[in-house]
Amino acid sequence: MKPANKLRKTVIGLVTAAAVAAGLGILVKIMGAGYFQNILILVGITLIATLGVAVLTGYTGLFTIGHAGFMAVGGYMAALLAKEAQVPFFYAVLGGGVFAGLTSFIIGYPAFRSRLRGDYFAIATLGFAEAIRLILNNVRQIGSITLGGAYGYMDLPTLDGSIWSWLPKGGWGPVIVVMAFALVIFFLTHAFVVSQWGKTCIAVGQDEVAAQMMGVNLMTTKMMALFISALYAGLAGGLMAFYYGYLTPGFFMITRSSDLLAGVVFGGMQSVIGPTITSAVLVAVPEGLRTFAEYRLIVYGLFFVVMMVFRPQGLMGYYRMDFSILGRLWRRREPAKAGGR
Amino acid sequence: MGSQAPTSDQLLELRNLTVDFGGVRAVNDLSLAIAPGELIGLIGPNGAGKTTVFNLITNDYQATSGEILLNGQSIRGLKPDRINRLGIGRTFQNIRLFPHMSAYENVELGLNSHPHYTMFEAFVRSPRAFRAEREARRRAHELLELVNLQDYANDRAGSLPYGLQRRLEIARALASDPKILLLDEPAAGTNEEESLALVQLIRQIHQTTGFAILIIEHHMAVVMDLCRDSRIYVLNLGSLLTFGSPAEIQSNPQVIKAYLGEKKDGRRRRRLS
Repeated sequence: MKPANKLRKTVIGLVTAAAVAAGLGILVKIMGAGYFQNILILVGITLIATLGVAVLTGYTGLFTIGHAGFMAVGGYMAALLAKEAQVPFFYAVLGGGVFAGLTSFIIGYPAFRSRLRGDYFAIATLGFAEAIRLILNNVRQIGSITLGGAYGYMDLPTLDGSIWSWLPKGGWGPVIVVMAFALVIFFLTHAFVVSQWGKTCIAVGQDEVAAQMMGVNLMTTKMMALFISALYAGLAGGLMAFYYGYLTPGFFMITRSSDLLAGVVFGGMQSVIGPTITSAVLVAVPEGLRTFAEYRLIVYGLFFVVMMVFRPQGLMGYYRMDFSILGRLWRRREPAKAGGR
Repeated sequence: MGSQAPTSDQLLELRNLTVDFGGVRAVNDLSLAIAPGELIGLIGPNGAGKTTVFNLITNDYQATSGEILLNGQSIRGLKPDRINRLGIGRTFQNIRLFPHMSAYENVELGLNSHPHYTMFEAFVRSPRAFRAEREARRRAHELLELVNLQDYANDRAGSLPYGLQRRLEIARALASDPKILLLDEPAAGTNEEESLALVQLIRQIHQTTGFAILIIEHHMAVVMDLCRDSRIYVLNLGSLLTFGSPAEIQSNPQVIKAYLGEKKDGRRRRRLS
């Protein structure tokens, strides 16, 4: 592609971004800041979990309908760390994420060992998530810790206020924290999928047999993808715990898993930006139109059918983000000076 | 040519290899040996079990009995990716590129199927990762040039014409730096002119890299030309029929019978060519 062409694309992208920002600004005025902040936080949390599913499903080709389970594991772990062990917020969230990632080996190793693929793997993840949810639903007490079972794990530290003193007061603090998390995860994910590791994932997603014959270790690659996605889900779960200030197993129903999967399938296979956009839309629209939220699964079903017929690769499937234009603009400046034009 | 006792200085050796699929014996007691740097042909009528032999070597199928030795070491039962890393690269009869990756990325994957930096470095893009990526890019472009695909580096592999996809597969197989290359019908579906170019290419690769090559081919002209200084093995119904130089194969009555059948009056129809 010619640089001029790329430049035009970048400009179009920036203009679009500005337009979206302006639109959001107007929305804030109409809806009130508090409501808007809530939506932004939910978008950020969902985005993190969706990017995990993008690595696993979009890139590695393993369908999952059980990532709510990993969110639950990460969320409860982070909450436990923060409430019972007084671990600082940031480390509690990280700890929850890593713990969820490690939990993924419980399901990943046997599933990949027995070469579960496609629907079978998806059902295995679903079973795992439901098992986690049912356990949490029925465990009220572990020693002196009150998990609350179906009533929920209450009185957790919350994101507003007292986490970091330098954050702005009012509702924007948690928004900044969650969005910062989401942004970091977004760029890390991009770096990962263009790396050699990311490409082994893509190869496995496209042709497992060929990938293996070319020397790709299937077990390592799939476990890695599952670990990353579970880690992201766990981080999202942790953020959720501290956003709501309580957790109930009801947060982690199969509908949440399918929301995540929908974000990736609509957004596009092998794409980071696609799922980012769609997951934001899929959270914001039902939140904005509360009465519609109940019917969203029906609409998703319709979308799925329409999508499979007209655009099976998803909205932005196989679209690669390219940040090289930034590097090139930077580099171009120097020779231009030297040329003396 | 007389029977050749398998010796340990062979690069790849199959000893009494047998595989059963249910009640069907797809490969029966096959022994075959390839020395370093040799270019060997494997031919046979449809359904003779040629591709099955490749799948057994790379452990896509598990052998029922027999041994597969690489440099005197048994590789039977190892995982396909391990076998690849020990030095066996292959192409596929029905092309199996990664269709949504670019031609360049396909080759790059062959180079980096075992990444040269840690997963953590992939996330943070360490300087070492940058260097590894740059080195891989250089090497991948070299390989693309070798198979004459440098102009298609950024095209989606799935969108390339058939003949170019075959060459890209060869480049990808070369990328893992094999000691022996298994080519499964590289000339399938190509016309006369293209298959001539392919003969040139394979010979050039053979000469420049010094890899041993085992080639399955249906185009007799291609395989007879390529293996003119070495041997051709002939499979029929899973068993080794004979092996020898192209000239010997072409005049062997058993081979002609296997390929063309026999006329009732016993007269041979024509020389195999």
